[in-house]
Amino acid sequence: MNKGSTRIAATIVTYGFVGLMAFLSIFPFVWMLFGATNSSIDIIKGRMMPGGALATNVSTFFTQVNAPLVFWNSAKIAILATILTLAVSSLAGYGFEMFRSRHRDRIYSALLLTMMIPFAALMIPLFIMMGKAGLINTHLAVVLPTIGSAFIVFYFRQTTKAFPSELRDAAKVDGLKEWQIFLFIYVPVMRSTYAAAFIIVFMTAWNNYLWPLIVLQSNEQKTITLVISSLASAYYPDYGVVMVGTILATLPTLAVFFFMQRQFVQGMLGSVK
Amino acid sequence: MNVRTYLPRLTSVALAGASLLAVSAAEAKEITVWCWDPNFNVAIMKEAGARYTKSHPDITFNIVDFAKADVEQKLQTGLSSGTADALPDIVLIEDYGAQKYLQSFPGAFAPLSGSVDYSGFAPYKVELMTLDGQVYGMPFDSGVTGLYYRKDYLEQAGFKPEDMQGITWDRFIEIGQQVEAKTGKKMMGLDPTDAGLVRIIMQSAGQWYFDKDGKPNITGNAALKASLETINKIMAANIYKPAAGWSDWVGTFTSGDVASVITGVWITGTVKAQPDQSGKWGVAPIPALSIEGATHASNLGGSSWYVLESSAEKAEAIDFLNAVYAKDVDFYQTILTDRGAVGSLLAARGGAAYGEADAFFGGEKVWQNFSDWLAKVPSVNYGVFTNEADTAVTAQLPALTQGTPVDEVLKAIDAEVSAQIQ
Repeated sequence: MNKGSTRIAATIVTYGFVGLMAFLSIFPFVWMLFGATNSSIDIIKGRMMPGGALATNVSTFFTQVNAPLVFWNSAKIAILATILTLAVSSLAGYGFEMFRSRHRDRIYSALLLTMMIPFAALMIPLFIMMGKAGLINTHLAVVLPTIGSAFIVFYFRQTTKAFPSELRDAAKVDGLKEWQIFLFIYVPVMRSTYAAAFIIVFMTAWNNYLWPLIVLQSNEQKTITLVISSLASAYYPDYGVVMVGTILATLPTLAVFFFMQRQFVQGMLGSVK
Repeated sequence: MNVRTYLPRLTSVALAGASLLAVSAAEAKEITVWCWDPNFNVAIMKEAGARYTKSHPDITFNIVDFAKADVEQKLQTGLSSGTADALPDIVLIEDYGAQKYLQSFPGAFAPLSGSVDYSGFAPYKVELMTLDGQVYGMPFDSGVTGLYYRKDYLEQAGFKPEDMQGITWDRFIEIGQQVEAKTGKKMMGLDPTDAGLVRIIMQSAGQWYFDKDGKPNITGNAALKASLETINKIMAANIYKPAAGWSDWVGTFTSGDVASVITGVWITGTVKAQPDQSGKWGVAPIPALSIEGATHASNLGGSSWYVLESSAEKAEAIDFLNAVYAKDVDFYQTILTDRGAVGSLLAARGGAAYGEADAFFGGEKVWQNFSDWLAKVPSVNYGVFTNEADTAVTAQLPALTQGTPVDEVLKAIDAEVSAQIQ
């Protein structure tokens, strides 16, 4: 076997593997798109072609679901959670890296340890807390427990390690206070880190299911994930309608991702070059 | 930009946002209900609520729909946390899980024995919500079973509708073999990972995975043994079309590939969803075992309404359930016609919808038949661990079909159930 054919074989294997992986990633998405255009019975039969039921499915979805309200609820929660999480957790990450103290690393380890507690174990105590605070069935109850995110604190601390301390020193010499340094030096420099964190937090908040389910009690407060779950669990679910809902629920996260894609990749590589 | 004005403004925006979110909705005389399935339970409860509001204008209803698993999760969390205002006034619970909630959370549900006349309901529905002599809950939809069969296929094989009445399982299998010989169609669809048929056959002989005291009743359970033997015979005679999962199983009869379906009455809507099969279907009582206590009536699935003891509108909720679900015969006609729901109130059969002859079933009065069978479903104790037992049975079904003796399969199921419920 000569070199040329080895290279061709390697290329075929590589492309075959990449193609297979691409197929595995894209297939559910394509199936969702096809599903939205087919009637429920055709979906059950496994029809893999665009059908003619899109208009019916869409109109059924909008008659069964108060879509503007539900999407407004989801958006409100996701945006508020994202802004608060970024504000609180980036400050914490900044603080952990910039300030030295004797117990810093112990506290930091304790913080990271909280990531290992499954949410199911926190759920009931958290629920009791929200009950005592009178926050059951409010969107605030959905948002509050998420804003001190150990993962995002960790992410910001790690990226802050690359933040040049000379910038901070120079700012201090110029007479800026700590919060001014944070707001006017750190935040602009780290904007691609913020963008990446924005996508991560937004997607988590938008797709969050278990906690909103537990804490939200009325139809008026429900988010899109709860509505789709309810549609899909009927004795005879209309899968076409479920697919329409799923597509609509996917769009905002897709939009956020495409909008911030460049910054996301940069953020993952580190903000400061 | 002026730095000094920036931060306070940000804070005030955040605070305003937070106060906008803190909306709470609590009205004095509103009954909140949690249930699942917008086209079935939710729609039916809305109908019931509308009827009650007509005579009691001061009482309105807030029907909240979640997925079934979600209702269970929320109920579990609400009850465990002891946060009373986190619970609805009325909640729908699946019958198989009723005892689990009643026994795990004593005092959480309001006993209705004093308020409701339970003699009007199918006895098995009342039994499953009884604990220590108290009846909790309002019986709702029934999964009374029937043998749906294709008259045309059976006729080709030489059988008349009379031949399908009051048969045994052995006779059913014989008929199945002849149907296949004459028409090439299998007798039934069967999903080997679903223990539904085992439950149907077992309950038809008045037994369950648990005895009256809630103790596992497996190795000495003649009805369970006979059910497994029946499944074995069906498989050995090869009169079934295998199905993988629920949708596939539904496809076996909607496509016309099999000659019969044995399941709960709630399947009627799906059977009738094939207009081209109109007039070709009949309904008979399900086959019986040949053991002591065997009957032609059983149940699969079904759920009921429960009132929370902590509810501020407890009295109104009970009065509402009593007025509509225990008395309003006309309501049962509406939900049968609109939603295909068969309730558990026996008097409902006196209404117009129940008396109608159904052209899809060749003019048979199928609802009268189902109503007859409803009263005859044997009462059993579903116990606390029906789902666990079901999982154990499903896990052992493959061993059964591979020739493991039934007694050994029973022992394995027993071991698995005992391990799970400790």
